[in-house]
Amino acid sequence: MQINFGGREIAMKLVYYGPALSGKTTNLRALHQLTTEGSRGRLMTLETKDDRTLFFDMLPLSLKAEGDKPNAMTLRIKIFTVPGQVLHASTRRLVLQGADGVAFIADSQISETEHNAASFLDLRRNLTELGVNVKQTPVVIQFNKRDLDRVRSDDEIGALARRGREPVFKASAVSGAGVLETFFGLLHVTWAKLDGEHNLAKMLGIEAGDLLPMAARQLGLKSDVPSMLAACIGGNLTRTPARAT
Amino acid sequence: MSGEPDVRSEDLLFDGRVRIEDLVDREGLDELCKSFQTLFGIAVRVYSADGALLADAGSEQELCAFVNTTGEGRKACATVVGAVRARDPGETGDVIQPCFTGAQYRIMAIEYDGRRVGRLIVGPFVAGKSNDPPPTLTTLDPALAGPRSRDLLAKMPHAKTETVTRIAAHLKASLDLILFSGHRAHVTTAVHLASVREGYRQLEEKTARLQEAFDRLKELDRLKSNFLATVSHELRTPLTSIIGYSEMLREGLAGELSPEQREFVATIHGKGEQLLSLIMGLLDLSKLESGTMRMSMRTVRIEAVLGEVVSTLTPTARKKNVTLALDLGRELAELRGDPERLRQVFLNLVENALKFTPAGGTVTLRAKMVETDAPPGGDDDDDGGLVLLAPTRTMLEVRVEDTGIGIPQRERSRVFDAFYQVDSSSTREHGGTGLGLSIVKRLVEAHGGTVRIEDTAPKGTTFVVSLPQAAPHEAEAPRVA
Repeated sequence: MQINFGGREIAMKLVYYGPALSGKTTNLRALHQLTTEGSRGRLMTLETKDDRTLFFDMLPLSLKAEGDKPNAMTLRIKIFTVPGQVLHASTRRLVLQGADGVAFIADSQISETEHNAASFLDLRRNLTELGVNVKQTPVVIQFNKRDLDRVRSDDEIGALARRGREPVFKASAVSGAGVLETFFGLLHVTWAKLDGEHNLAKMLGIEAGDLLPMAARQLGLKSDVPSMLAACIGGNLTRTPARAT
Repeated sequence: MSGEPDVRSEDLLFDGRVRIEDLVDREGLDELCKSFQTLFGIAVRVYSADGALLADAGSEQELCAFVNTTGEGRKACATVVGAVRARDPGETGDVIQPCFTGAQYRIMAIEYDGRRVGRLIVGPFVAGKSNDPPPTLTTLDPALAGPRSRDLLAKMPHAKTETVTRIAAHLKASLDLILFSGHRAHVTTAVHLASVREGYRQLEEKTARLQEAFDRLKELDRLKSNFLATVSHELRTPLTSIIGYSEMLREGLAGELSPEQREFVATIHGKGEQLLSLIMGLLDLSKLESGTMRMSMRTVRIEAVLGEVVSTLTPTARKKNVTLALDLGRELAELRGDPERLRQVFLNLVENALKFTPAGGTVTLRAKMVETDAPPGGDDDDDGGLVLLAPTRTMLEVRVEDTGIGIPQRERSRVFDAFYQVDSSSTREHGGTGLGLSIVKRLVEAHGGTVRIEDTAPKGTTFVVSLPQAAPHEAEAPRVA
């Protein structure tokens, strides 16, 4: 996170992480499609001809305090995806650097279970190498591709999700299902942590609880925040990540 | 926000400020603006965020030139131009700056990613259809009050405000696309470079770790050689006593032995000798490996060395019913070497040949002079440039030919490795430690020579040792290696 007092801006970085072909870029495309132009910028993607992300994708959003708030700062959110292929390890780490929150996009297909695990371990290793306390990093997990056959069952994922720490969402990003829910879940946990540490709401001239509804309004969403967050099937959405001891 | 702030990539990816001048080719931008002017007839200028003029398409209007011919006109014109240049596009990002001539300028913000990165100035143009010069023009100077002002105002580009808005929106959209493409390329390149750097850093780390491991192994290897040398030396001392006392026992110095006792003592003595030769071999090898083998170099005649070898091994050959022949060529040159070590070389080779030659076979030692233009080491070492690098020289070649079991092609390069045996069962059948040939190779090389196996399988094996002839005047003829 960066606070630029001169430019009256707060910048937040969210990263979509996950194994190759799990649908990180698809999530970003869907998010781009589901939101209106006013608050979101152009989606920057860089893909090879076989739809593999080469470096990263980036979608910028910018949220302004509503009403007449003199000196209120703007919250700029940049959402990145990392290249999932194993060989892009160094790019992945570069993109992950400085991330305020991470959405881990897992592939629900049974055959991908090991790749999900390997990628999550890769995430933890990279965070550690970047000097970040893994436990303190806000993370939400999305089980994508729910629309496919031979995926892990709802019961199985639900049972595991309830035991885990990270909030878990189900999605089918190609149709846009679960994409906003995941994003708002991530925004929720990341905001809770950053606001707790830096009192961002005051800088933005809003109440802490207003950010998500404000984001939903400015992104032109019809669904309301509580129902989006209610899509979380497990993990702890309300508790802020563990503080360093 | 956790961990130490790190600016390595964040500047690139996170909050990089975009500057038009960094992303857009100036000439290209100029051309774009000119094409707009050609298309719509209105001048266009692009300014950067800090007020630098980046592109300027538009020639001076005739009215402007006319106005500038008068003192007051020039002054008023300068004021307007200054105001246009300094004008901020305001909250809406789109303002009009009127000119005293009745024309106007539109000043618009160029935005990228929600931030203002520059200004677009469109004009001067006349909004609407009126060609009547306003009082601000006609009263400025008597010279400007005439009909010429009216004529020239009519020649100014005319456009409706909405039309200009649409044109400007189009230009801004084009610019936005250019900026986006430029920005994407810029960020991509930067990330790519950073990735490469990161990859390089990791490689360097790995290389350093490998180097460390390599150095440690080298040190271990050195310690191994030291250990071998020390242990061999320490083993030799008590062994000398074992051999000596068993010899004394066998000779009856401690009283008469029964035939069975004599046989046992002979076995102890024989095995002791065998062990001693193994230890001596190890010592030699470790000395050769560490480069501490002392050689007393002097002029040597190969005939003497080979003759001694043959006479030493003739009894062994006879016992095995193998013919041992010596064939010395004419005019064998003198060598420079250690006669004791050379003897060891050929003793080893001939012993080896005898070992693997069945009864009724022949082992022949041939020595002759050969002219060679190949660099030592044979064809494999030929990296070209032979004509320049290797002057013809005379070598003494000693061939040890046998009619034994032969050595398969694929094994030939390995028989010179320490402890290597073509077939591990051969050790049991023929004895030997597997050290002999590796010592031979190192000793020959220490004499500046080579040893190789000639392709005669399956008829037998021929070892060829090439040794350089002693230079007639060593000091005058440095050897080319």
